[in-house]
Amino acid sequence: MTQANGKTSEGTKATAVTRAPAKVRIEGLYKIFDVGHGKVTALDNVNITIPDGEFLCIVGPSGCGKTTLLRILAGLETASEGNIIMTQRDKSKPMNSMIFQEQSVFPWMTVQDNIAYGLRMRGVDRKESAEKVDFYVRKIGLLKFAKAYPHQLSGGMKQRVSVARAFANDPEVLLMDEPFAALDEQNKVLLQEELLRIWEETRKTVIFITHSIDEAIVLGDRVIVMTAHPGRVKADVRVDFPRPRKVYELRAQPKYGELAYKIWDLLRDEVLKAKREEGTE
Amino acid sequence: MSMQGLAEGDVVAVHPGEISLGAPKQQRVHIRGDVAERLLSIFSPLLLLVLWEVLVRTSLLDARFFPPPTGIVSTFGSLVASGELWNHLSASIVRILWGFALGSTPALILGLIMGLSPIIRAAINPMIAATYPIPKIAILPLIMLIFGLGEMSKYVIVAIGVFFLVLINTMAGVMNIEQIYLDVGKNFGASRKDMYLTIAFPGALPLIFAGLRLGWGVALLLIVAAEFVGAKSGIGYLIWQSWQTFSVEAMYVGLIIISVLGYISSLVLDELERILIPWKSLHLKS
Ligand SMILES: Nc1ncnc2c1ncn2[C@@H]1O[C@H](COP(=O)(O)OP(=O)(O)OP(=O)(O)O)[C@@H](O)[C@H]1O
Ligand SMILES: [Mg+2]
Repeated sequence: MTQANGKTSEGTKATAVTRAPAKVRIEGLYKIFDVGHGKVTALDNVNITIPDGEFLCIVGPSGCGKTTLLRILAGLETASEGNIIMTQRDKSKPMNSMIFQEQSVFPWMTVQDNIAYGLRMRGVDRKESAEKVDFYVRKIGLLKFAKAYPHQLSGGMKQRVSVARAFANDPEVLLMDEPFAALDEQNKVLLQEELLRIWEETRKTVIFITHSIDEAIVLGDRVIVMTAHPGRVKADVRVDFPRPRKVYELRAQPKYGELAYKIWDLLRDEVLKAKREEGTE
Repeated sequence: MSMQGLAEGDVVAVHPGEISLGAPKQQRVHIRGDVAERLLSIFSPLLLLVLWEVLVRTSLLDARFFPPPTGIVSTFGSLVASGELWNHLSASIVRILWGFALGSTPALILGLIMGLSPIIRAAINPMIAATYPIPKIAILPLIMLIFGLGEMSKYVIVAIGVFFLVLINTMAGVMNIEQIYLDVGKNFGASRKDMYLTIAFPGALPLIFAGLRLGWGVALLLIVAAEFVGAKSGIGYLIWQSWQTFSVEAMYVGLIIISVLGYISSLVLDELERILIPWKSLHLKS
């Protein structure tokens, strides 16, 4: 089952259709890794349709293939089978930008050069790029560190730079892989609020992976729950809190508790299954 | 709730030099210790020189092999005065620089390419692995045969020595770059050229410098050897000629010049590294 009709980023760009109802359509996606002694199925027939401007959250137990899914969307991995169709509205903008789970800020560039990276690669002119960088450097509260190198920053500050780098690139789809997992609680809430604020202004399509049910509810329009390894879509939960949202006010609502319980209930079996599998391996 | 305030809240060590550790009293003891150490490190070589002089003058040390320091100094003076020393020194430096440039430029380019491309690496690596262990001095006669006794043979032998060290270190430097940075490049639309210029080269720079450093040491070694046998100028020639004419003082002058050259160039490389790689251990300096 290793026929390569999966799409790379070039592939997805080639199949971009104008004015389709969905921004991203994931159809029958499989990913099978060849590991020395055999095969590991990371994604098992994943189907998700994401409308333009939706903030989609994905939760699932560790190792269920969330990062793999995002890497395929980002064009960093090829699917074993299935299709990804992304609709590009503006050819002058990048299709997607990824915020990685692990430390990914270039150590050899200053904070501002890191943030400007995508713009520089696209050949955006210096003045425009400098304005964007200035805007995001302020947004993430690192104005004083604009000319600092990453080794002078804390882990959380580096992650903020990585968020800014993706936003400054102004892609049509933002792929965020547990971007706030490494942050402390206070910074996390602040950054979630900032993310909501920016998102409400721009209404980009966001695919946001998290292992925090709270985060998924607070941020998302919709939460996809994935099964334990191999990853499948288990449930699709709509979160219809009105926007603009306030993170801490949301948590006080009775509906928040209901949703959190519902998602946790869906997730619990999967997490236990993942635990059991880990034990037997 | 603005995000601007966050910066103050974060614990960051930007200028650890400003944070003074330990009580002032202890520090003073430290400084006194420092001064004493420094004085000792200046006076002990001086003491050795005085001892040497005394031993030669009392004929306890054979002046034919160990000429008195005063004798070496006066020979040094006359070599400087006649301009001879400068001629030799500049001849050697020019050869090293040419050889260095000729060797490290292709090594750098090839090393970057081999680091990024597994196919090219697989194609070229066996040849490198097979030729690298050959002692470079062993091919000096062949080089002189091919390029004659002129300047070119000196450039080439230095270039060969430098080439391997810079190539191997550059390649290792690129291969050591974490995959995630290449993924970022790809996802943010970096072209092949961008991959080299914004990721492979800067990411490998620390190891490239290690290669340049090693290359410089080898270059000094090779240039002296090459000037022993096939040159009419250069520090190596000065040393060899002194042996032939049995002017041991001049030989010592040559040795001292070579070691000073090595020392100064390592200082220059240190400084260059500090300027070109500001993102590595910035706060370890001082
Ligand atoms: N390059 C690879 N080669 C082989 N197997 C891989 C590779 N990348 C991922 N896998 C496997 O695919 C499965 C899914 O991995 P993935 O990183 O997508 O999980 P995840 O859901 O992001 O987990 P986490 O929440 O811990 O980040 C795992 O079983 C993992 O071992
Ligand atoms: Mg992951």
